Amino acid sequence: MTEVLPETKSGGTGGGALLEVENLQVEFHTRAGVAKAVNGVTYSVNAGETLAVLGESGSGKSVTAQTIMGILDIPPGKIVGGEIRFRGTDLLKLPEDERRKVRGEGIAMIFQDALSALNPVFPVGWQIAEMFRMHRGMSRADAKKKAVELMDRVRIPAAKDRVSDYPHQFSGGMRQRIMIAMSIALDPEVLIADEPTTALDVTVQAQIMELLAELQRESNMGLILITHDLGVVADVADKIAVMYGGRIVENASVHDLYRNPAHPYTKGLLESIPRVDLKGQELYAIKGMPPNLLDMPTGCAFNPRCPYRQEKCVTDVPPLHTISGTRGSACHFWREVLDGDAQ
Amino acid sequence: MGRYAIRRLLQLIPVLLGTTFLINYMVWQLPGDPFAARCGQRPCPDAYINAMRAEFGLDQPIIVQYWHFLKNLLTGDLGVNFNNVSVASQLADSWPITVRLGLMAVAIEAVIGITAGVLSGLKRGGFIDNVITISSLVLLSLPVFVTGFLLQWLLGVQLEWVKPTVSPEAPFSELIIPAFVLASLNLAFTARLTRTSIIENRRSDYVRTAIAKGMTNRRVVGVHLLRNSLIPALTFIGTEVGSLMSGAIITEGIFNINGIGGLLWRAVNDHDFTIVVPIASLLVLVYLLANLLVDLLYGVLDPRIRYE
Repeated sequence: MTEVLPETKSGGTGGGALLEVENLQVEFHTRAGVAKAVNGVTYSVNAGETLAVLGESGSGKSVTAQTIMGILDIPPGKIVGGEIRFRGTDLLKLPEDERRKVRGEGIAMIFQDALSALNPVFPVGWQIAEMFRMHRGMSRADAKKKAVELMDRVRIPAAKDRVSDYPHQFSGGMRQRIMIAMSIALDPEVLIADEPTTALDVTVQAQIMELLAELQRESNMGLILITHDLGVVADVADKIAVMYGGRIVENASVHDLYRNPAHPYTKGLLESIPRVDLKGQELYAIKGMPPNLLDMPTGCAFNPRCPYRQEKCVTDVPPLHTISGTRGSACHFWREVLDGDAQ
Repeated sequence: MGRYAIRRLLQLIPVLLGTTFLINYMVWQLPGDPFAARCGQRPCPDAYINAMRAEFGLDQPIIVQYWHFLKNLLTGDLGVNFNNVSVASQLADSWPITVRLGLMAVAIEAVIGITAGVLSGLKRGGFIDNVITISSLVLLSLPVFVTGFLLQWLLGVQLEWVKPTVSPEAPFSELIIPAFVLASLNLAFTARLTRTSIIENRRSDYVRTAIAKGMTNRRVVGVHLLRNSLIPALTFIGTEVGSLMSGAIITEGIFNINGIGGLLWRAVNDHDFTIVVPIASLLVLVYLLANLLVDLLYGVLDPRIRYE
């Protein structure tokens, strides 16, 4: 792999970024064969920065996050190569007990479906308080007070009265707030949000994104926002990594990506957003189906669906070309895509 | 939940009335006169039979007999059996022994069954899992009397580790093997249920969350996973208390335990319904209370089905 790693300006300790994923490769060994779910992914996030990882189901965005977090199911998952450096230390080389201490304290995560992600048989306050009791050795009473404070902080109404309620007694948005409260309990440096708003109503989505952005400003966390929703990304992200078929196909700042995408897949995604000024016209859709991880196309994984496809796309895997600074595109014909001709 | 419990307790009254009436009715409707064969080799004289029938009220209509039964029950006077021995004293002698045996069996089911299920569920496909799966299959496929005789012969007769039969006082230590035999079927089933729910819940989102929270493996399994996986096993153990009681009759027979099993067995053979009716009614009551307990426990274990 000859991927070009976009260098971030400011760093955490030791020159590098706060969290760096480098050339990560994860496979799933199934009866039907080996699926390369993550195939050489490289990205990084700094304190106070928001990285949006964009991609459809099966693009490897969640698997990458789970690998960072250390919650990948092994087996069937298998980490084949790469490094995940948190403050300069490769997490993949840490003994399990050290690794565990990073979870919750250093890196925390929130999930898509808060109802199933919260334990149904324990009160929500108990679940938040558990962070303080287990990581900080606090007493039950003190930890519960902290839980109420956190529930207040994520703006759950009447937090004090609701601290002993169970997850099923809350609405979807409130449950996600509880999930967020739990994840920020110990002031982690990096927060990974895996599709935090996908299961919610549109109005609630906006509130949750606002809350995340606000919490990030207050505590200067690095935020990795995993989503397939371009609308969610635009407001909050600083930079975007677009994933397709287990690889990063485009790296860009939000501004650049929306104004002028450098990969045909990104371009297709942007064009498939409904627009008011094009009302009445047929909505654009990317042709074809997402690639089957057990049977990837040769060359560029996107080639069967790509309007720019040429001979080279079927034979050569495109490297992540540096366009300028931190911008990168894994397309042989990124220049043409940028210019906007063809199609 | 208190109100729910009271409502459920009140519901027990009509159920108990109905079942005890049916027991009374059916028992006395059995063919064969209970007194006709009580005189050894020769037939009993009609005078004796008629006198006995009058004494036990068998000459009266069934509804009157049932009324007498209820009245005696409420005054705590269960009368004497056909041999003129107090029914209450016989029950008082045997009932505690069966209760002890039953509670020990439930404890064995819960502790061994759940532990085995958790171990095999966590190490699915491993050596321990195979050992537990195979041995639970063996226990499941053997009837209780086979397991009973086998253990009695092996541990009691061949190895002489325990006494083959239980002495009349039925001390705790002598009841361990019989209780295990009584528990064996449900034990195997509990292990399988627990194993399945551990395997199912292990991949659940909330377990993943607990790991992501940085909890130790012990806490993830022992608190987050276990609490959810116990629900089906505990429900099963509770509802099966009834079947445990009928199993006790066989187990008590094998190990010669002086519990209600033996008492009931002899009473049925003698057509001595003065004993059969109260024991059967008592078993119904135990069954109903156990079910109520399970329903209440269910609400405690799983807040999603809590009763207002």
